Amino acid sequence: MNTEDRVKINKLPTGVPGLDEIVGGGLPEFSFNIIAGAPGSGKTTLAHQFVFANATPERPALYFTVLGESSIKMLRYQQQYTFFDPAKLPDSIRFINLSQVVLEKDLGAVLEEITREVTKANPAVVVVDSFRTMVRKPQSDLDLQSFIQGLALFLASWQATTFLIGEYAEDELRDNPIFTVADGLFWLRQTPERNSIVRKLQIIKLRGQDSVPGLHTFRITDAGVQAFSRTFGLSGRVKDPPSHRRLCFGIPELDKMLGGGVREGDSVLVAGSSGTGKSVLATQFIAEGISQGEPGIVAVFEERPQAYAERATTLGLDLETPQKDGKLKILYLRPLDLSVDETMHSILDAVQKIGAKRLVIDSLAGFEMALSPGFRADFRESLYRMIFALTGIGVTILSTVEVDESFIEFPFSTYSISFLTDDIIRLRYVSIDGQLRKVMVVIKMRGGNHAKDIREYEITDKGVVILGKRLSDYQGLISGIPVHSNRPDPQEESTQEPEIGSHE
Amino acid sequence: MRDLARYLLAYEAVACKTSDPVESATLRVYEKLRQSLGAFAGVFGFQALAFRALTQAKSEAPGLWAVQIAADGSLQGLGEFEPQLVEFAPQLGSGKDQASEGGVILIARLLGLLLVFLGGTLTLRLVQSVWPDAAFDDCNSEIRRKA
Repeated sequence: MNTEDRVKINKLPTGVPGLDEIVGGGLPEFSFNIIAGAPGSGKTTLAHQFVFANATPERPALYFTVLGESSIKMLRYQQQYTFFDPAKLPDSIRFINLSQVVLEKDLGAVLEEITREVTKANPAVVVVDSFRTMVRKPQSDLDLQSFIQGLALFLASWQATTFLIGEYAEDELRDNPIFTVADGLFWLRQTPERNSIVRKLQIIKLRGQDSVPGLHTFRITDAGVQAFSRTFGLSGRVKDPPSHRRLCFGIPELDKMLGGGVREGDSVLVAGSSGTGKSVLATQFIAEGISQGEPGIVAVFEERPQAYAERATTLGLDLETPQKDGKLKILYLRPLDLSVDETMHSILDAVQKIGAKRLVIDSLAGFEMALSPGFRADFRESLYRMIFALTGIGVTILSTVEVDESFIEFPFSTYSISFLTDDIIRLRYVSIDGQLRKVMVVIKMRGGNHAKDIREYEITDKGVVILGKRLSDYQGLISGIPVHSNRPDPQEESTQEPEIGSHE
Repeated sequence: MRDLARYLLAYEAVACKTSDPVESATLRVYEKLRQSLGAFAGVFGFQALAFRALTQAKSEAPGLWAVQIAADGSLQGLGEFEPQLVEFAPQLGSGKDQASEGGVILIARLLGLLLVFLGGTLTLRLVQSVWPDAAFDDCNSEIRRKA
């Protein structure tokens, strides 16, 4: 069939931030949908958001309540949400209680009553809350099937987009005729994970539309339900072409070691044990970006933004002014029950708001701890999606990660995530001449050559300062317990610099 | 709430004269609220609300003792109450004005419960939808003050 001959299905806004992206751009008009889930999972709130987003006086929404929560109590609670617009009641949104007819009569009478109200109001949206209680009375399978079929056909013919809300268990999916008839099936889950509650949404079925598969986390706040797509709202977005620009740290010797800086759009990992200066390096990276006109985001998990900015001041770096100027945002992502998708949403919002080019995640360990226990199991996978999404839009990410100092191995990260990063800078302690000194080495640069030197550095009131030339008088530096080689530098050469522009 | 209730009763009293003079203003106001709230909250939902309102009102207006809420939420015994109250008003030490205050109290209590549960804005919108031609400017400020 010619594309032009096909019927165009309008997509209605769901009114739920993040959900339009998940359902493939909006909810199909005239579709017959089920919102299923356990009590308290957010079914009614989600339906209300859809109703408030779409109802008009010309094409109102009819909200049928049955047994269960009374309309008065429901409105009492729902009006606490910011999406609730009392001006829409009762002209655009009408609540009709069907309890009596449900209790006293059969399903035929219920259908008759719904038909009467729908015919009278000509609604664009119809909600039945809860449909489950409507069909709870004992009745034959045939009666039930006939009722569901009749309801679905009537409402679709009447050009209404419908939501039936019900407390269903997942094992009912197979045998219940309602799930066969439905065009869309939204399943809301909330599961305890140790001391946390994790809410997830799944579009089990959505006819005629390419929804994002999988489980998407959602949260209920004073703004109602907010969904976080697994694609972070970036699906369909064209990936930025690779850039050859180099971003500096503002530490001349380190920038030389990196072949002129890290490539724009790279993911950089700075790994080291406690006190090696990972955060200092990250702060210098952000501050240098701002001085070059590149707005930045710092996502911190272990300290408050104010403390982070104050610490930068001790290094001679001003993070207060760029925050006031809208060039820098320090995000403190509250350390409890986060999902990676929520964190991503906050970061992406900030990136888009200030046009950030550099992002610091300080630190991955803090990030992991901020997640609800249920999400920690998927940390690597989530991190992969996050880094891929952000670097895809041209953001250069620097993440810090704490590694345990070991004298028998040289780990890059405790998360086995080095494959997710383009560049790795490793900081570590070494024992030299009765002192615990610090050295750094560039382990990997995917986008080009880099120095192989192991360089000593100090943290001063100017930040990270690289000292002298490479430590060529010692053997076994990466072991942390080097041995003085007692021999002159055979090359007597200056610090090796990479051939910029060559690639691995 | 009493000002709003009084206003609604006065509004319906005028309407009574032109339509059904037999029916009392209180009953007309109550019935209109019952129809509207019943569709919205269900018969049982409205009945429960009305029963609570009547119980509260009886403590302020003992003359309402004979009034009851039927299972369908309708008001029973008001026909007896209003003439009685007016008839016995002198013995009770109250005038006719005070006697008619019973209806005001009942309606005010009902509206007051809506105010508690739904807040000022929704209560006013609900009342406005029942009496679309009435002017509620003064009542609006009263509801907002109480809310």
